[in-house]
Amino acid sequence: MRGEQTVSRALGWLAAIGLAGGLVMAFAVAPREITQGNVQRIMYLHVPTVLVAYLAFAVVLVASIAYLWRRDPAADRLAHASAEVGVLFTGLTICAGAIWGKPTWGTWWTWDARLTSVAILFVMYLGYLLLRGMIEERERAARYAAVLGIVAALDIPLVHFSVYWWRTLHQPPSLLKPGPATMSQGILAALLVNIVAFALLYVYFVAKRTAVLRREEEALA
Amino acid sequence: MTYARRAWIVLWKDAVTERRAKATLNALLFFSLLLLFVFQFTLGADRERLVAALPGLLWLSFVLTGLVGLGRAFLVERENDCWDGLLLAPGDKSAIYLGKVAGNLILMLIVEAILLALFAVFFNVDIGRALPALGLILPLGTIGFAAVGTLFAAMTAHVRAREVLFPVLLLPVQVPVLLGAVKATEAALAGEPLGAVGHWLQLLAAADVVYLVAGLLTFDALLEG
Amino acid sequence: MTADHWGFVLAAYGIAAVALGAYWRHLCRREQELTEQRSHIPPGAGHPGPKPASRSPLQ
Repeated sequence: MRGEQTVSRALGWLAAIGLAGGLVMAFAVAPREITQGNVQRIMYLHVPTVLVAYLAFAVVLVASIAYLWRRDPAADRLAHASAEVGVLFTGLTICAGAIWGKPTWGTWWTWDARLTSVAILFVMYLGYLLLRGMIEERERAARYAAVLGIVAALDIPLVHFSVYWWRTLHQPPSLLKPGPATMSQGILAALLVNIVAFALLYVYFVAKRTAVLRREEEALA
Repeated sequence: MTYARRAWIVLWKDAVTERRAKATLNALLFFSLLLLFVFQFTLGADRERLVAALPGLLWLSFVLTGLVGLGRAFLVERENDCWDGLLLAPGDKSAIYLGKVAGNLILMLIVEAILLALFAVFFNVDIGRALPALGLILPLGTIGFAAVGTLFAAMTAHVRAREVLFPVLLLPVQVPVLLGAVKATEAALAGEPLGAVGHWLQLLAAADVVYLVAGLLTFDALLEG
Repeated sequence: MTADHWGFVLAAYGIAAVALGAYWRHLCRREQELTEQRSHIPPGAGHPGPKPASRSPLQ
């Protein structure tokens, strides 16, 4: 128990340091982007959150398969926690994306391939959390959520292709995308640091969330 | 009892129940006819716009009717306390899934065919030359819908607020199928060769395979306890 | 020179900070609740009272 708390605390500090470093990189080290100006710095938030969200849902897939195979409650807790954090990060991606889009594209929302894919992702896993919330028996919730977690994850590549074809075959290829034309060293470095920082934050959140889930189960036993 | 025979029995049982009750098919047909009226009232003022939106409206009707129909997929078992019967069936329960999907698929295809004819009549659209292509596109799209729909129907059968949860879970997952089907239908109605939308058809086929395999592998887990 | 729109940058990072911070605080608080709850249960005496989350018919 104490060991677990120490690990959790260490992860927390690691994440905090990472995020601090990420902010420094994003605002002090990364250069001002030529075409968009400083508003492009939102990318150091937007891209890491979406990448970590995909990581989260990949973990949901693996944990769901593991649960159906082994019926290990730890796998179920991991799936649940990862889905929750994943939905949080996906929501932030959409939010940051919209805020970035307004000054650069002139609109809060556009049905471009990336934003649309992420929106569908958000709704799918929000449904996952909804399903879990609506089933009272813990064991049944775990089983059903595992099935949904697997189907949703398998759907992701299909969503990507379909949405991408849906947009790009009717839009002119010169559609502006938020992102620098070429990645300079400074921009790439800042992006990588932030990706690592948000990944650490994800690990910390999932660790804490699974601990809470386990304590809740113990309290009910 | 072989796997195929078990699946066939489920399909046959549903078909016989359906033929005796006739409730579901009639209700679905009536519902889809009403949708047609609603589309006319809401969009019909501008005929050009309506005809241009036809592929989308067609699949919108299929989806909405499917949601109503599939939402009831396990209703008979639930209402008549036959759920335990399903649970106790020996052997591979995925055969039940296959039988259910086949039954739902046939039901939906019947409704879609009739609805297609009604659309052509009411909106005065010539679909004759597109029929062979549509004969491929409609099943490709509907299989995906039936495969995931049947799985999710079993999943939400015993959940609170299943009437809301079922479409909420199904619709986002079905986006690829919806996009592919509408795009392919658009091309078919415009008289384009199927080759032009080959990538969409491949996507639909791939989706169908993925969903069916996922359903076959996971249906068992839904039926326990 | 393109405008910088610092307001938007602040808004994006601000919302992220608030959301992540709120989630973190929620997790910490929940963890604390559960630890306190557990430490108040006398060893081997069973449950002191009906727990809100418990739905066991045997309680």
